[in-house]
Amino acid sequence: MIVLSGRDLNKEYISRDRKVRPLQHVDFDLHQGEILGIVGESGSGKSTLLKVISGIEKPDSGMLYHLDKEYTGSKPEKTGKFLQMIFQDAYGSFDPKMNMEKSLKEGTASDRNEIVRVIGEVGLSEDLLDRRPRHLSGGQCQRMSIARALLSHADVLLCDEITSALDVTTQAQVIKLLMEIRDMENVSIILVSHDLALVSMICDRIMVMKDGVVVEEGKTEDVINKPSDEYTRKLLNSIIAV
Amino acid sequence: MLAPNDPYATNSSLIRQAPSAAYLFGTDNLGRCVLSRVLVGARTTIASTFFLVAVSFLIGIIIGMLCGFYGGIVDDILMRVADLMLAFPQMVVAIAVAGILGGGLGGAMIALGITMWTSFARLARSHTLSIKNEPYITAARLQGKSGLQIMMTHIMPNILEPVLINALTQIGTTMIGISGLSFLGLGVVAPQAEWGSMISEARAYIQIAPWAVLFPAAATVITIVVFNYLGDAVMEYRKAE
Ligand SMILES: Nc1ncnc2c1ncn2[C@@H]1O[C@H](COP(=O)(O)OP(=O)(O)OP(=O)(O)O)[C@@H](O)[C@H]1O
Ligand SMILES: [Mg+2]
Repeated sequence: MIVLSGRDLNKEYISRDRKVRPLQHVDFDLHQGEILGIVGESGSGKSTLLKVISGIEKPDSGMLYHLDKEYTGSKPEKTGKFLQMIFQDAYGSFDPKMNMEKSLKEGTASDRNEIVRVIGEVGLSEDLLDRRPRHLSGGQCQRMSIARALLSHADVLLCDEITSALDVTTQAQVIKLLMEIRDMENVSIILVSHDLALVSMICDRIMVMKDGVVVEEGKTEDVINKPSDEYTRKLLNSIIAV
Repeated sequence: MLAPNDPYATNSSLIRQAPSAAYLFGTDNLGRCVLSRVLVGARTTIASTFFLVAVSFLIGIIIGMLCGFYGGIVDDILMRVADLMLAFPQMVVAIAVAGILGGGLGGAMIALGITMWTSFARLARSHTLSIKNEPYITAARLQGKSGLQIMMTHIMPNILEPVLINALTQIGTTMIGISGLSFLGLGVVAPQAEWGSMISEARAYIQIAPWAVLFPAAATVITIVVFNYLGDAVMEYRKAE
């Protein structure tokens, strides 16, 4: 079953009289319960794609569907009912003036017991609920944002470089958590990362973007073992070289 | 309440008395106790200053948040208006407006407020712009919060501090403004006690009874210095943090 899909998405920015086209005829499908990895070098349009999917930005053309229902042009206030974002900047994901309990309560009708249960599920203890973001570690903040996403009962998580601001051990823990909740809560995940090694390890399918174009898309093994595109091969070689 | 004598009681036998034990600051041209008038005047000057700064602050922060958050044509128009206001010296605008409104404390406050909100609006707008793309704002939108809710619960609390500190630093200038307009006869009018109008009245006979000018003038200067110093201190403290 396909949870989320996009067809022929286009997005263009004009900055200082120069046209940038971070999305050009982009198609994607996100299957129920899968982790879809999106890789590509800086500026290839990965974040723009997530912004368009979540309704933060409107596509210039193209269609978006959630469970076969079109939602193109819906604002985040609407899309938030079925999708949530986890950001690279874990600290910045929470209002610095609010404690965690207030932040988590914002989008959910759940009571404190339910909140405590969910933050337990992401590996956090109840006493952290009284703290403000700057009194948490980066990893704890990132777990909190995953908890917030789960509390809103979204079935899709959009993750943009969610581990790149964390240290290596914490990175591994957050990724492990992501895989666990995928299994437990049956959510579907889009994971944007420049880290091809990470993506190839945990994603079911991979999409490779270059200059706003999807140059390759397929099952992880296929993309890694027999890349059909020259650019993907170059990306793969660059990690092997490292 | 604090005043030792009735600030409005005239006494023809006590005209322009030098400071004494009974009248610490002396008396004025009508035999009124200068100390009592300075004390009662403090209430007028300080209370109207605070009220004016508070109202301008509220209007400014709301307009600034709306402009910063929504942008677009309303932002363009309001910010051009603000630019226009800032292009003229505040006191010049205030004198012109107060003149048109024909004096009185209310008129003076409107005259000063017309330009004062702009500085709060600009500051609130720039701080709103700097936080509106923070992930927590996007997160709140994804939690289903409307623009208005986001402004009240997330933006306001996060921009309040710098704008409030700016308000504190404006108290001194505002006080000069109110006293200045009153001095020019465009603000508080006789016989109500207000520092600016007291100075204005008494300067006619400054050579005979300098205390009638000196004490309200000193009170004005000291208060302004204190508030400016307070504003700077808070600002320094914030920077050091
Ligand atoms: N609001 C905007 N206005 C103008 N240009 C933009 C805007 N947002 C993104 N771009 C441009 O679109 C292109 C794609 O940006 P995007 O953020 O999607 O890249 P990315 O693949 O996420 O890169 P990174 O790996 O560095 O995060 C870039 O060239 C960027 O400069
Ligand atoms: Mg990006």
